Amino acid sequence: MNVEISDLTRRFGRTRAVDGVSLQAGAGVFGLLGPNGAGKTTLLRMMATVIPPSSGRLRLLGRDPGSYGPRREIRRRVGYLPQNLGYYPGFTVAEFVEYFALLKDLPPRRVPRAVAAAVEQVGLDGKARSRLRTLSGGMLRRAGIAQAIVNQPELLLLDEPTAGLDPEQRVQFRALLRWLGETATVIVSTHLVEDVGAACSEVALMDAGEIVFRGTPDELTARGEGSGAAGDAPLERGYSAVLSAARS
Amino acid sequence: MSVMSMRLPRSARALRLEFKRNAVPYVLPLLAAVFFFDTLRTADGFAPIWTLRASAIGDHMLFEFSAFAGGLAAWAGSREGRRKTVDLVAPTPRAAWARRSTALAGTLCWMLLAFLAGVAVLYIQTAVQATWGGPPLWPVFVGAFGVIVVTVIGFTCGVLFPGRFTAPLVAIGVLVVYQTGLRQALGVATSSGTYALLSPGNGPPVVDTGVYYHVAPDLSIVQVMFMGGIAVALFGVLGLAPGLRGLAPARAALARSGGWLLRTVAVVLVACGVAASWTAFALAGTAKPDAVGGWEIPALHSAASDQTVPVTRDCTSSSGFQVCVHPAFRFYLHDLAAAFEPVAAEIAGLPGTPAGAREVASVSGGQDVQSGTSVSPPVFEFTAEHVGAMFGQFNGIPDPAGWASGFQQGLLDAFLTGRPPHAGPVPILLGPAQQAVEDALLTAVRSQPLGPSVTSAGVSAAAHRFAALSASARHAWLVAHLTALRAGAITLAQIP
Repeated sequence: MNVEISDLTRRFGRTRAVDGVSLQAGAGVFGLLGPNGAGKTTLLRMMATVIPPSSGRLRLLGRDPGSYGPRREIRRRVGYLPQNLGYYPGFTVAEFVEYFALLKDLPPRRVPRAVAAAVEQVGLDGKARSRLRTLSGGMLRRAGIAQAIVNQPELLLLDEPTAGLDPEQRVQFRALLRWLGETATVIVSTHLVEDVGAACSEVALMDAGEIVFRGTPDELTARGEGSGAAGDAPLERGYSAVLSAARS
Repeated sequence: MSVMSMRLPRSARALRLEFKRNAVPYVLPLLAAVFFFDTLRTADGFAPIWTLRASAIGDHMLFEFSAFAGGLAAWAGSREGRRKTVDLVAPTPRAAWARRSTALAGTLCWMLLAFLAGVAVLYIQTAVQATWGGPPLWPVFVGAFGVIVVTVIGFTCGVLFPGRFTAPLVAIGVLVVYQTGLRQALGVATSSGTYALLSPGNGPPVVDTGVYYHVAPDLSIVQVMFMGGIAVALFGVLGLAPGLRGLAPARAALARSGGWLLRTVAVVLVACGVAASWTAFALAGTAKPDAVGGWEIPALHSAASDQTVPVTRDCTSSSGFQVCVHPAFRFYLHDLAAAFEPVAAEIAGLPGTPAGAREVASVSGGQDVQSGTSVSPPVFEFTAEHVGAMFGQFNGIPDPAGWASGFQQGLLDAFLTGRPPHAGPVPILLGPAQQAVEDALLTAVRSQPLGPSVTSAGVSAAAHRFAALSASARHAWLVAHLTALRAGAITLAQIP
């Protein structure tokens, strides 16, 4: 298992953003669904080693991120796209991705090829020399994804990766996710249930800091059948049904 | 990507990116303009003496470069906070210190390159005009360390207080500190004024500094040590910055919990930097004026610095009155001879008339040298103090007439009083009769005597009377009365 979480909690003052979450994930694309404030981003940030948990056990890629050495090793093998993508507007797409390749300790000989591959995978090879300040929101998002995958991560954490992408780009991105999921653990936090339905082999639904559902997209769809829950698509109805049940 | 860049090691590649995308190049045109209008034009107003021109590095250039360096470094240091990339860069294996060091190095490289380019322009300008000596390196070291320390201070401020206003505030802060002077910033009083010597800007030195005597590097050494110590200590603080910032948010707890080796190195750097700065501060407190117009720090002082610089003077004697100057002042030798010539002709043949004029050092034994006539053989010995009036175009003070009359008055002062050259306080002014004769002789050679506002009506009237005489009549009267005139025994009424 690349991700092993048990009873993980993260508090901000008196607020429990993540409350006793347990989760295991191996290779494949894992969807993390939930409404705003459910704790998805906080959970991803803990898995990305940006913030430490308040309590509980977290093992990533078979290592404990609480210690310096293993944490560095984990960070070499993790890719992370935060929800709010900060960027350096003066950098070109290629420079931005190269910068993160270097921060991720990629061997210098491999950097140019890895950068070119990452930029191509997100469909920005025609914009590689464009400065980030000239890109649209969707292109920036793809540049963010490129930096996340430049080190061919074993654990890829994507927070709202399809926000700002047009439908064609989202279709291409889901294909990329499926391809990446063949060898790595990809955890995708999203509001968009259709992304989960199209790309994820497994899904967890969070609400109020807890995981209230864990299963396949089909199982989530099944929860909505005959429930009368709101939603335009079967998966949406399953999502609504699970949330209603958790809150009742 | 070029083949060259593909072969670069990781740190060099990161530095290349930082160098390429740094903000410094965008402000270089403005910096160049400020450098031209302030430093270069001011230096051009100084006599082309290496030490004098090099003083513009500390007094002008550093002032301008520091404000830019501080602001731009703060801009680079606050980048992660301003651009909200903390979540992007935090989960990378590269330590925050290493990451920031690369960004700092990018800014530092640009600023140092710009600074050294400015020094090169200043020194090339001087080399074209100077007639003796070579470029002094200590002012360059001091200036470079000044740029380094301000860059590190600005960067640290940016890291610790990321925000879009940090950069302008740092730039303004640096300007204010320089404007009020490091003397005030250090809180020194008259009693402890020597500590203020740590400020790299100390005003232009006397015109012949580094010409007759070596410039002792003592002060430059403690300045470099002081600023280098601060830079090293702050660099160490950058290594501890995640922990320091983490005192408030829990975000940095992970960073704090590991990397003991990095933190140990950071603590050692802070300790070494503080120790170096403190030592420099203590050494500055022991500084005392040396015998040749500089500063001596006993623990660092080398006796070799006090030795005179062996040199053969350049001379000219086109009219029989030999004028000799240090080769560093060769550029004004012929103008000087032309200034002395008519006065020397007026007093030629009189008792005690100097056979020539010789330039000497302006400081001796720690005291200002006053011009005078040596006895055997009688030679007028003068200093280069008036040479500055030949320059200063930028300040609007070129005064060729005043410059020439300054030397002519000096020659006549020495001749009419019979005063020998000496080191010490400014001598007593001429008596009224001596002043009247001097003014008359200056008028006779079409030079500018002291104006009526500084001489009394009686002196002025006597001077007019004496000047109206023929040259032979003046000469005859002086032959008869020069001894009494020198002794102060002649009254204004006795002047024909």
